[in-house]
Amino acid sequence: MTYQTKQKVRRSGLTMPIVTPRFVDQAWRRGCDFVTLDLEDSVPQDRKAYARTLVKESIPKITRAGTEAFVRINHEHMAADTEAAVWPGLTRIKYPKTETADEVRALDALISKYEKERGIAPGTVEIDVGIETAVGVTNVYDIAAASPRIKEFGATNGGYDMSRDLGVEMFVPFDQFVYLRGEANLAARALGLGVRAAPFIANTTGSVSDGNRALRLAEAARACGLRVGGGGLNPAVVESHNVGYTPSGEDVSDALWVLEQFERLQETDEPWLEVEGRVIDRYEAERARGTLAWADVCAERNREKTEAVAKVKAQIQAQEQAQQ
Amino acid sequence: MSNKQRSWLVVPANKPDAVAQAAKSGADVVVLDLVEFIRDAHKPAARANIRAAIDAVRAGGAQAYAQIDPQQHEADLHACVWPGLSGVVVSRAETTTQMSAIDKHLFLLEKERGIPADTIGMVLALETARGNQDAYAIATASPRVRALTLGRADLVMDLRPEPSGEIHQMPYLMERLIIIARAIGATPLGAWWRAPDRGLLSTAENTLQAAKRGRAVGFKGALCLRAEQVAPLNKMYA
Repeated sequence: MTYQTKQKVRRSGLTMPIVTPRFVDQAWRRGCDFVTLDLEDSVPQDRKAYARTLVKESIPKITRAGTEAFVRINHEHMAADTEAAVWPGLTRIKYPKTETADEVRALDALISKYEKERGIAPGTVEIDVGIETAVGVTNVYDIAAASPRIKEFGATNGGYDMSRDLGVEMFVPFDQFVYLRGEANLAARALGLGVRAAPFIANTTGSVSDGNRALRLAEAARACGLRVGGGGLNPAVVESHNVGYTPSGEDVSDALWVLEQFERLQETDEPWLEVEGRVIDRYEAERARGTLAWADVCAERNREKTEAVAKVKAQIQAQEQAQQ
Repeated sequence: MSNKQRSWLVVPANKPDAVAQAAKSGADVVVLDLVEFIRDAHKPAARANIRAAIDAVRAGGAQAYAQIDPQQHEADLHACVWPGLSGVVVSRAETTTQMSAIDKHLFLLEKERGIPADTIGMVLALETARGNQDAYAIATASPRVRALTLGRADLVMDLRPEPSGEIHQMPYLMERLIIIARAIGATPLGAWWRAPDRGLLSTAENTLQAAKRGRAVGFKGALCLRAEQVAPLNKMYA
């Protein structure tokens, strides 16, 4: 089934090699908001052509239980990969190592062409650009502004490619990417895009399968007001991201409390109130309203996913019984 | 009256008692606010009160600035540009068009009200993402721009504390603002606020620490909201 929730909810995701059937076939069971089918780093050069032939049939496998299907293309094979990837059901192309706005416009034009040829509503397929090189950072604002298909933008912790391009060491206990993150995230905010960012929390081990750490990171991001997850590589982090980016029961009751206090403030002519050591003002009220709205959208998305998974499981069971 | 500008105490312009107290707080500058703390219903009263408030601030020994809304700059400037006013803080400064319009309006009002030309300076509060993104262009749009500050960007841009205590994005935004201010010969105003500091509000002790860090990265004075924040700012930005 296709995605129904009105506001896009991208808390959790997995990136997986499209050439590994046991990952792709089971992906719908993982509870992800999105799955990124990878044509890039996880696919060896001699299997790139074969990988392209798998996209069209893989997309429905991902989306059958409410998960969004994305495809990560190769920077150096943009045209061939895009031709292979834009099929009904796809909602985003991840374009790694983006360096200029012209590249983004070229990708946008290609997507438009295939959307038209293949009966996909214009503008359906988003572009997610990856800033992973020094040149990309230099052009960051122009890149983010290059296409209306870019809905979310930012930079988190640099990543392997960025670190290699800049010659910095990864997994050190301090923040090496203040400027990179600042530039990308300011551009996203100035353009009114969804902000993909992360507060700095040291990762000195390089682990990608630590569910507890993933939860801590997602909770810290949520506390910063961030809502867009970058996904992960290991199924162990999916639930941590779903939970970590979703307002907790405590967040919701706190938001309701803030709005009650704000009602009281409205009856006075004071610009702010201090209640139990906390400032209550229009900014707090706005944050509280935002939390409640986001909690509703997350709940709707969770319901949608749960129902879709139950339906697919019931279908599978019915098929099995019929075969017996 | 001293020409130092270490501490800038922001006070709602519609509250004569608060203005009188601010004037005696020891703040180098009192900013008479028409934007952040004034509800729409109270704007006419606040504007009507400004001329007297300027005199009260000066009588207390402080310089008088007014904080104006670039979306309502004509009405705000009409209310506040009187002899004795040193300048305006432009809240949520975002576009070069706004800055040019404010500059032009100041020129006309100075002339009309017998104020020597170019007396009224502009302090730009870059509180939005757009304002920060285009900071250099905005800040060079008028020769009156004397200082840049992030103002209450943490609230306006909804930037919240990280686990480290740093406010998300602020180390980057501070450094960027300081570089742009120095590049154009304007004064960078601000302090390195950390959680639980919020929207220029802090305790005296935390203000001292914020100003100590702020001075170290290049700020030359800071805005604040409470009288108790004035002494630590005066001390650290001496």
